[in-house]
Amino acid sequence: MGTKQFTGTSREASATVHLTGSTRLERYRRRTRPARFVFALAMAVFLSVLLVSLAPVACQDEPHVASVAAVLDGPVADAGENLTILVGEKFILNGSGSTGTDLNYTWSILYESRTKTYYGMVVELSFPRPGGSEANLTVTDNSSQTSWDKIDIVINEPPKTFLDKYLTTILFGGILGGIALYILVVVILRLRSGQDVISAARREKTMLAGRRYLVIIKKVLRNPMGLIGVLVLTFFGLLAIFGPYITPYDVKEQHLTETFLMPSKQYWLGTDNKGIDIFSELLYGARTSMLVGTVSAIIASVLGAIVGLYSGYVGGWKDEVVMRLNDVVLSIPWLVLMIIVAAFVGEIDLTGIILIIGLTGWSYTARMVRAQVLSVKERQYVERARAIGSSEMSIIRRHIFPNTFPLIFANTILTVAVSILSESTLSFLGMRPSNEVTWGTMLSFASEASAFQTGRQWWILAPGLCIVVVVLGFTLLGYALDEILNPKLRRR
Amino acid sequence: MARKSFRRMIAKRVINVILTVFGIMILNFCLIHFMPGDPINNVIPRTSKFDPALKWELKEKFHLNASLPEQLGWYLYNTVTLDWGTSYSLSARPVFDIIMTDLRWTLLLVGISTVFTILMGMAVGAYSAYRRGGAFDITATSTSLFFYGMPTFWFAMILQVAFTQPLFGMDWWPRLPSSGYYDTDKLGSELKFTWPIVLSVAKHLILPSMTLAIGFLAGVSLMMRSSLIDTMTDDYILTARAKGLTDYQVLRRHALPNGMPPMVALIAMDIAFVLGGAYQVEYVFNYPGIGYRTIAAIGDLDFPILQFIVVIGGVAVVIANFIADMVLMYIDPRIKIS
Repeated sequence: MGTKQFTGTSREASATVHLTGSTRLERYRRRTRPARFVFALAMAVFLSVLLVSLAPVACQDEPHVASVAAVLDGPVADAGENLTILVGEKFILNGSGSTGTDLNYTWSILYESRTKTYYGMVVELSFPRPGGSEANLTVTDNSSQTSWDKIDIVINEPPKTFLDKYLTTILFGGILGGIALYILVVVILRLRSGQDVISAARREKTMLAGRRYLVIIKKVLRNPMGLIGVLVLTFFGLLAIFGPYITPYDVKEQHLTETFLMPSKQYWLGTDNKGIDIFSELLYGARTSMLVGTVSAIIASVLGAIVGLYSGYVGGWKDEVVMRLNDVVLSIPWLVLMIIVAAFVGEIDLTGIILIIGLTGWSYTARMVRAQVLSVKERQYVERARAIGSSEMSIIRRHIFPNTFPLIFANTILTVAVSILSESTLSFLGMRPSNEVTWGTMLSFASEASAFQTGRQWWILAPGLCIVVVVLGFTLLGYALDEILNPKLRRR
Repeated sequence: MARKSFRRMIAKRVINVILTVFGIMILNFCLIHFMPGDPINNVIPRTSKFDPALKWELKEKFHLNASLPEQLGWYLYNTVTLDWGTSYSLSARPVFDIIMTDLRWTLLLVGISTVFTILMGMAVGAYSAYRRGGAFDITATSTSLFFYGMPTFWFAMILQVAFTQPLFGMDWWPRLPSSGYYDTDKLGSELKFTWPIVLSVAKHLILPSMTLAIGFLAGVSLMMRSSLIDTMTDDYILTARAKGLTDYQVLRRHALPNGMPPMVALIAMDIAFVLGGAYQVEYVFNYPGIGYRTIAAIGDLDFPILQFIVVIGGVAVVIANFIADMVLMYIDPRIKIS
């Protein structure tokens, strides 16, 4: 009873306030201010946890240094003892145990089937990826007598800390928790102030928007290109979600006795250079490939949209500066740009690849969004909004962004296709994510093992076809959406 | 009036081109400059016995002891005077020579495939727009889309295998050379302008240029199709038909000229990208052009070569876009006035 009465008075109060000039929007803002504060606080705590967890792991102990060798008449090389190191750890190759007079030291280091030569007694190195390496020390004295010694270096993955293991869980948990907390706070505040949790206007608006989206979905499904795209993507989307759970074999487990097997009943598409079932890899690769494509396309689109909206809306010299920078980024050869970004990112894992593709792919979107903003900016409703005193941010949020969003969305879908292709190309050219299986890495290993020449066509054809079909799905859907959402093309 | 604003517009474009090229060079300088490691170590032998005084002298020679703006100044000066330094990996050959040699082959490859694509793509696109929804349109569009979604290197590998051995035991199947730029084993490594060498070069061009052309053809024909469909629905096309012009006349005189502007922009952009980026094709076919060199340089971390490939590629894109703008102004007078 009490609450009901309270609600009643509140409504009356709001009516009077409305009459005296304070708008409902303003009151809504005032009410939700504490909610925003709480949300910001939660996000700050979450971000600081994230930062702490990303801090580097403590160093390992000093590597082992040389032992003594017997003195003979010629020079005797001593490369020290075999090393076991961690990825990225700096270690020292020390040839000081070698005996002889006036020696020249040459280290040749074999790593990932490539040999590099270093001169000097002591060499300091580190390796970016796990695996094995061989270091050959050749010593030559002044009478050009030589001797050599070899050590093996085993490069291990760093032990996973608790945070490494559960980082993704914490991340997603944090984001979901933050959103849930925000919703909870808003609901509680509204209930306490006696408002409806969802106002009638808002409900109506949501329903209208929903109906509009339903119409778009119907149009997409009625368009033959869109229908094919949706079907293909549904299939591969399900594969991406469930694929890794239905693989017949573990894709991370190597069977070095069963490498390069031909297709059989046991292994449907044979096994690869590490003895891993290719069919399992194909199923597993659906998730990683689509993940790389989608996430990097989203990163690129968000960056591009922000740059485009800013540059188009602000105009003037700031726009000029941003667009010239954009031109520069757009002009630089794509692959070289990625390599340079990769050199900054350092060791490449799946996240690294996603960042590289995402951070280099935004300039085209930016240019397109800017063009659209320029045309939307001049429309009458924007002028009207400005005339009634809307703030810049609210004009962008309520008028400009909603009118560019369809374009951005259709473009994102097309960018996903390009990103998947980029990933496979990067992998093929040797920049593959370490310890992950994507369709791109499969192709790259297959071509390194010259699968075609040895009669293992399916090793190359299967992942390639998967890429083609997925890219086709995204392209078709993108075109269909473009046709439906882009008013200029609508009339055909 | 119009003339004056036209001039001002061209001046603005030229200034933009210069600014962009300048920006590319500065970005390039920054990227290379902030790379980890001391660049002098790539030139001197890596022994502890190397004379520090000599090292200092070398650093002075390459202006590595100077301040950052001074280094930038030297970098710009050297770039403009074509003194591009020497390669780390290729026994200290000048970078300019290396890039110019490679550029010839890339231009040959890209030129042939581009001419082929533009002619074919426009014909296919125009015909499928003209008979929209017909059998030809549906076949062409779906084939184009299929090739469009194909990783270039994958397609290159398939073609390479398909034409090196008789397919399915068919003896008449043509066999084409799939690696290198001409038959250096038989005809000697010295490139001369003789008939057998020219023939061999042409034969070696077929597969790589076909791969490039087909990937690029899809983009051109799809664009041509949608741009033509766009203009075909305009009112003046209806007027032209009502005047009693034949379908061909409508297409040739009214629809094509107005469907061209987006094509010009697309072709310019694609040529520029291909020029800096026939990487995959050149890599698979061991074709010694810029792309092949880029990948080799990445493997050897040969930064002098890499940074000038960035400059060349960037400048190519900028100039191609500039030319496209000029062509657009020529074929679409409306741009000139506004």
